Amino acid sequence: MLFTLFKKIIKTSAGRTKFVLAFVGLSVALLLILSAIQIHANFNQLLYGKNNSDSTANFLVINKEVNNNTVNATVLSNETLQEIKQQPYIEAVGIISAGRFKASIESLIKSFPFYTDIAFESVQDDFIDVSSKDWKWNEEANFIPMIIPNMFLDIYNFQFSMSQGYPQITPESLKMMNFKVNLYDVNGNIKSYIGRIVGFSDRISSVLVPQSFMDWANKNFGNATTTNPGRVVIKTKDPGNPALVKFLKEKGLTTDADKTRFSKYRQIVNVVVNISWITGVVMLLFALLIFTLFIQLTVASCKDEIQLLITLGASPQQLKAYLMKQFFPSNIVITVIALIVVSVLQFLMFKVLQQQNIFLSPFISLYTLLISIVVLIVLWWVNHSTIKKYIAGK
Amino acid sequence: MQIKLQKVVPVPLKDKIELRNSDVWNVEQTFSSNDWVKIKAPSGTGKTTLIHILYKLRFDFSGTIFWDNENCINITENKLAQYRQQKMSVIFQDLRLFQNLTAQENIELNRVLQKPYYESSVIQSMAEQLGVAHVLQQRAGLCSYGEQQRICIIRALVQPFEILLMDEPFSHLDNNNISIAANLIAEECKKRNAGFVLTDLDEDTHFNYTQKISL
Repeated sequence: MLFTLFKKIIKTSAGRTKFVLAFVGLSVALLLILSAIQIHANFNQLLYGKNNSDSTANFLVINKEVNNNTVNATVLSNETLQEIKQQPYIEAVGIISAGRFKASIESLIKSFPFYTDIAFESVQDDFIDVSSKDWKWNEEANFIPMIIPNMFLDIYNFQFSMSQGYPQITPESLKMMNFKVNLYDVNGNIKSYIGRIVGFSDRISSVLVPQSFMDWANKNFGNATTTNPGRVVIKTKDPGNPALVKFLKEKGLTTDADKTRFSKYRQIVNVVVNISWITGVVMLLFALLIFTLFIQLTVASCKDEIQLLITLGASPQQLKAYLMKQFFPSNIVITVIALIVVSVLQFLMFKVLQQQNIFLSPFISLYTLLISIVVLIVLWWVNHSTIKKYIAGK
Repeated sequence: MQIKLQKVVPVPLKDKIELRNSDVWNVEQTFSSNDWVKIKAPSGTGKTTLIHILYKLRFDFSGTIFWDNENCINITENKLAQYRQQKMSVIFQDLRLFQNLTAQENIELNRVLQKPYYESSVIQSMAEQLGVAHVLQQRAGLCSYGEQQRICIIRALVQPFEILLMDEPFSHLDNNNISIAANLIAEECKKRNAGFVLTDLDEDTHFNYTQKISL
């Protein structure tokens, strides 16, 4: 009842246009800020997430440069491995273990005959850019999953098949084919298994098998001597980092220079994200200023009425509570609208990117939610302190 | 409640007051909830100024005012609101109604500013008593001065109080209406064991005053 009477006395209709402007301004500002945070969160998910088949994270395979001095001596020493691990810009190092046994692979299909000697490598699953449910192996299984470089398929489809008159083959049909994989032990005994390609990697140019299979096969078929790896995969935030490039050069190591283009994409995304949130914050400040002015205008235009209310005994708390109730709910509405819009955009982005095998969360990140709560608290504080300031002046 | 004045002199009236004797200005004077005080004084001697100073609306005076032994100057905004909601009520000479609210809403506002002392229906019965029931739904700005003054009286009486301050509360009323209004005020003060301070130009016998003083 009291607030109904207050509403008749304290008219908030003065400067309605300014209020609408502030409303729109604040909505856009919040949208920009929340989008920037969401994009940042998505980008982090892509960089550090483990379920993306085409990750933009920066993994580099490094090995010694093969030249006249290093021929047949490209094994990485323990000291070098230790040094690589200690570099601050290298987040993780994955050892690529090579098979120490002979192997061959042959086709089981007559229309697609081939036979070749082959060598396997393996690396911890975290460093592989393919996710497949078939990527597992145990001793009981007769089936060996393999990941081959995309490049192999390209070589076959665009060079080999054309020159030999074989049909081209799609990744999907290749995945459905079974191969015979022969493993030779040190005495030349052969054991055959079924192998199948479960994915294609852009990251590691090698025929990969699961680490568990590699350990088992090395034990059962390989020679007993253990050697250090010749190649490692490193995970780094920025492959364009001059310190990394300098380090690799000093140690006579090389890597795929083309990978640096990922860092360029990332820098562009970073710039866009930064521009977005800085614009958002600036707009938020202006929107807050307009809100503050709007509250000031309302209080000033009802100066006499508020004065009389206080004379009659209205307490500052009652007036503050009333004015907060008039101004603050619109802020909550704006925040909720911004959150809904960002959620819808995120879901759409999830749908679109899913088709390109890039997996994002369909929901907004916890950070986005937290920041919107923080912004709401800031809005509450600005409203509250402005009202307090102008009421106290009466 | 008790309001104590200690050597209070309003700055604008300083020169005039120094030339004459007064029961209020520049002396010690106390108004409490046991007193029904009539202050009689001609125009321009500071009747309204006094009511405003007692109600903490003006600060342009020398000397000290105590509300329940606390220096009035030190009373915070929140405590001031508490006093005005629970312990003091006022009828202004210049009425001070919200012109755009109806008469009923003006009274209702003062009823609900604090935990209501009376039910809303009391407004109707008081308005009937004072003969203004027919204007309750009318905008206060459209009521005559006499009606507005009676609305102000009802507004002051629907809240709890220990001291009622009245600044020429009957200036727009005829004798018959004055006596009805005075009876209602006396009845409400008795009900609350409240005192009052009333300022007016002339002598009168509307109340059983416990004290009659001059400014």
